[in-house]
Amino acid sequence: MPTVYVNDTPVEIGTRKLNCVQAAELGGVLVPHYCYHPGLTVVASCRMCLVEMGELKDGKVTMQPKVFPGCQTPVKDGTVIITGEYDKRKPAPALPYDPAYKPGERAKKSQADTLEGLLLNHPLDCPVCDKAGECKLQDYSYQFGRTESRLVDEKNQPPNKPDLSSKITLFTDRCILCTRCVRFTREISGTGELQVVGRGHHEEIDVFPGFPLENKLSGNVVDLCPVGALGSKDFLYTQRVWYLKTTDNVCGNCATGCSVHTDTNKDIVYRLRARENPDAQGYWMCDEGRWGYHHTHSPDRITRPLTKGADGGLRPTPWQQVQIRKLFEDAVYVTARRAVVVLSPFLTVEEAYALGTAFKKLNKELRLALGPVPVVGEDDHYPKNVKGEHVPPTKFTIRAEKCPNRLGVEAVLTKLQGEVIRFADVVREDLNAMWFAGGFPDPEAVNAALPAGWKAPAHLFVQDLFHSKLTAAATVVLPATTAFEKDGTFVNHAGLAQSFPRAVKPGPEVRGELQMAFDLGGRKGLATVAAVRKDLAKDLPQFAALTELTQPTASKKVELATV
Amino acid sequence: MPIADKDVTWVDSPKLGLFEQLYLPLIIGGLTTTLSHMVGKKRTESYPEQEPTMPANYRGVHRLNRDENGRTKCVACYMCATACPAHCIDIVAAPAPEGWKDREKYPETFVIDELRCIYCGMCEEACPVDAIELTTLYDLTGLSREQMIFDKEKLLSVFDQTTKAGTDPVRTRAGDLGPASEAPPRT
Amino acid sequence: MIAFDWLTLLIVIAGVIAVVMPTVGYLTLAERKVSAWVQDRLGPNRVGPFGLLQPLADGGKFFLKEAPIPRHVDKIFFLLAPAVSMAIALVALAVVPWGGTQPPPDPVATQGVEPAAVVQQYADTQGGYAKSFNGVIVPGLDVGVLVVFALGSLAVYGVILGGWSSDNKYSLLGSLRSSAQIISYEIPLGMSVVGVLLFSGTLNLEGIIQWQKQHGWFVLFQPLAFLLFMVSVYAECNRLPFDLPEAEQELVGGYLTEYGSLNFGMFMLGEYTHMITTSLLMTVVFWGGWSLFGLEDRVTDPIWGAVVKCLILVTKTGFFLFLYLLVRWTIPRFRFDQLMGLAWKVMIPLSLLHLLAVMLVRQYSLSNWVLTAISVGLFLAAGVYAVAFGTGPNNAPRRRVISSPSPPVGEGLGVRGS
Repeated sequence: MPTVYVNDTPVEIGTRKLNCVQAAELGGVLVPHYCYHPGLTVVASCRMCLVEMGELKDGKVTMQPKVFPGCQTPVKDGTVIITGEYDKRKPAPALPYDPAYKPGERAKKSQADTLEGLLLNHPLDCPVCDKAGECKLQDYSYQFGRTESRLVDEKNQPPNKPDLSSKITLFTDRCILCTRCVRFTREISGTGELQVVGRGHHEEIDVFPGFPLENKLSGNVVDLCPVGALGSKDFLYTQRVWYLKTTDNVCGNCATGCSVHTDTNKDIVYRLRARENPDAQGYWMCDEGRWGYHHTHSPDRITRPLTKGADGGLRPTPWQQVQIRKLFEDAVYVTARRAVVVLSPFLTVEEAYALGTAFKKLNKELRLALGPVPVVGEDDHYPKNVKGEHVPPTKFTIRAEKCPNRLGVEAVLTKLQGEVIRFADVVREDLNAMWFAGGFPDPEAVNAALPAGWKAPAHLFVQDLFHSKLTAAATVVLPATTAFEKDGTFVNHAGLAQSFPRAVKPGPEVRGELQMAFDLGGRKGLATVAAVRKDLAKDLPQFAALTELTQPTASKKVELATV
Repeated sequence: MPIADKDVTWVDSPKLGLFEQLYLPLIIGGLTTTLSHMVGKKRTESYPEQEPTMPANYRGVHRLNRDENGRTKCVACYMCATACPAHCIDIVAAPAPEGWKDREKYPETFVIDELRCIYCGMCEEACPVDAIELTTLYDLTGLSREQMIFDKEKLLSVFDQTTKAGTDPVRTRAGDLGPASEAPPRT
Repeated sequence: MIAFDWLTLLIVIAGVIAVVMPTVGYLTLAERKVSAWVQDRLGPNRVGPFGLLQPLADGGKFFLKEAPIPRHVDKIFFLLAPAVSMAIALVALAVVPWGGTQPPPDPVATQGVEPAAVVQQYADTQGGYAKSFNGVIVPGLDVGVLVVFALGSLAVYGVILGGWSSDNKYSLLGSLRSSAQIISYEIPLGMSVVGVLLFSGTLNLEGIIQWQKQHGWFVLFQPLAFLLFMVSVYAECNRLPFDLPEAEQELVGGYLTEYGSLNFGMFMLGEYTHMITTSLLMTVVFWGGWSLFGLEDRVTDPIWGAVVKCLILVTKTGFFLFLYLLVRWTIPRFRFDQLMGLAWKVMIPLSLLHLLAVMLVRQYSLSNWVLTAISVGLFLAAGVYAVAFGTGPNNAPRRRVISSPSPPVGEGLGVRGS
């Protein structure tokens, strides 16, 4: 078995092809790095990952006379890696070094010198920098750097470039020229807007005049930037990062189902960041999802139950006066064949299952239909070339299907009634009653699904986020929850089930879909996903793995089950 | 850090001599002391009639300092709000207005709840640009809670007031930490 | 029987009450003023000129405030306690001579005398005494000193009742401490006065003053007895350094914890009245009462004579009251074991020895000044004994840190420019 020695600790690498940074990580040792990113090509430009290298052969260690950039140097059997933190190594028998050799000394000095160089022109305006608190430059300076700069000359302070893009601003003086962003636009989005201009001391990140950084993945460069140079205008100066609480969520804007970090403070979502998940989408996420959380805190949202008054207008009604179950039972009393329950693809698996079983329990003849599935254009694959054509291999895809959980709801419907009824089919029928469990972030998707000359049922119950043509015709309108406001599971386009915890609390008068299901089904107890998952696992064994999830906690990668 | 036993010694009360054991002479000595204080100079300041002079490092009402152009020095870094143990500072940051060449960020609103504040001075310690300071104003009163919630204008007016009255607080270490910070004292 | 003139009696009672009550009020003001001056402050100066109306304001407050009665207390005794405390303190004033007095004549011998002659003799002597004016509410009370002590001991009933009926552990602890303390200090108190009584040959306070006027003040002959007496009355009054029953730092407010408003005010009234009574007693028993080196006899006019005598008495009493206040800010509170040790190990033996000395002097008709010498000698001997055999203040050894461990250098923040 090939073995690498990281600070004297033997690490077995198997058959994998690894570089020093990765091998050290396997051994639990951090090799600091800025320019290296596993999703991008290696350029070894920041020099932060310099390590001492050698080889253990025939019971003797031969060290190389110079230090190597760890990201660029592959390891093989017998490779010896020594980082600057050799003196803090885990206890392990020392390797047979040359007695005159002092392990770790050169690497340590290299790290400190590199940081000093990177910080030469850095303005140190951490108090006003949005990156402060999660800045790798801060962290590494604290961990590996010098306390003082020896620079006596004026700092080079190039002007900021707020017009880099409509969404992204560049604080040029904070940049350390790691070129992660440049490589991203060249390799992942393929659009290649960003580049390094100037030479030596005067190198800067910039775009061609008239060609701003506008592509559908541009927000990723903000995540990639290890310092505070690239800033999202959406998040700029809204919060300091140490106030934010991070929850691991799933983006609900398209069928890709990107894993995301949701950063919240006081129950307000401030920022989404891509969460590395090789099973789902990889390292990135699209701008549409990244900045598509604003509907959560939109003032237009339906925040309380509304009922149709005598004059035909909707008026706010307290929950105590909205007897959901009784109203719906009355509506389907005559004939359940003329009633339909619509479960939208924005519901979680648990919600769809709980609602479906609750309605089936109310009346076996009730039909369950899949809600309108919004599809916009075609799947958008990256990278692209300059003409906008896709160049294989695909590194990221934005799905045309703009809903997170069609497959999950379909699985539930198939189980409960053996078939999936399309919304487009039932909506044309002469219906007496309809329950519409929505959760559409964009009401236009609902409006588009209604055919021209649509006649509203006499009893229409709508649970949705925003007002649409449907709510205008409704007898009862109930507030819904967004993907950030509930625990649950989404099944993405490839059948990957991802569970996620709640990031923010919904409004005070909002009762979630799960609670609705409990109320309608007359089920006692707390409306939690854990309770539903037990039943779900019995009916749909492919979701059995979900029951083993403990209460979802923030910032923890949840186990994945594939449908 | 706990104190080890070796770092501790046990001290007995000193032995009393005859003079002390008789009690009475010492009591008379004590009575002399108290008597001398009775006729001595009084330290009381009759407050409303007689205004006290506060030491320059007194921690009273906050002020937001202005720079030489009359703008607030604050760069909305939230350090004070972060350091505040009473959570009485509320800042909304925004990109600096056009023409503010020396900084990118400024406080759109800056509100201190003077009722919640415990006047610990942590905000002053935390400020990287010496923008917030505690003044010697101590007699802060108001007729309602709203009056005691100071916004940016009010805090800047405290600066104007104290500067005019010549009661600037003691300047803690000024540094070259930020764009609006003062130059370090030249020695 | 002595036929009292009821009108005179009522006038004197009214006079005494009218003087004592405001005095108590102003004593509280004096207490606060002296406290302030000792601490280099000004004291209350907002109500009236120099704060002179402060007692009125305080009194008004006591009257107007709600009198809280906690649900868990024994209501009857809870309300009775302050009344008992105050009433007893006021009653004790009855036998204190305020101004010019003359001792009642000695009882006449009746043996072998015609009954008619006895009656005549009685009318001649006692009747005349009854008609003469005496600055005391109850003149001619032959057990004067005993009455004062008896009533003084009763004062503890108010404290005990208050503490017990409050149904509060702090109150109960306070009153228990008070009873233990007062019982302990009753003994040296009584013992120290016995010497005086042996000399004066009467329990009557007027008689004691008369003796001192003829032979000189007792404080000159029995300084040790005076010292013991003074310390004992401080303890009896629960004044610092003996205020353990209401030690705020340990017992919240002791037996006063549950009291408020006028109930509290009555306790305070009782306490301060007690201070006044004991100060008067010290003056009367040891410092010659209204006599001052024959000054009082220069004024021959009976009215002015009474006024001068009263002033002399009040001045002396005022000095002792002032001493009460001053001592409060000079000597810190005793620990309870020290308090008990002082009574049982120091003061009771000393008072017994002193009594022995008095008896010896009387037996062998030695000069009074011999007793002075013995007093001083006993005092010094006690000190020498304490140095030789005593255990000192009996304090446990104190913990002192000789070197505090410093935080490890070289870790933590890299401080700029350090």
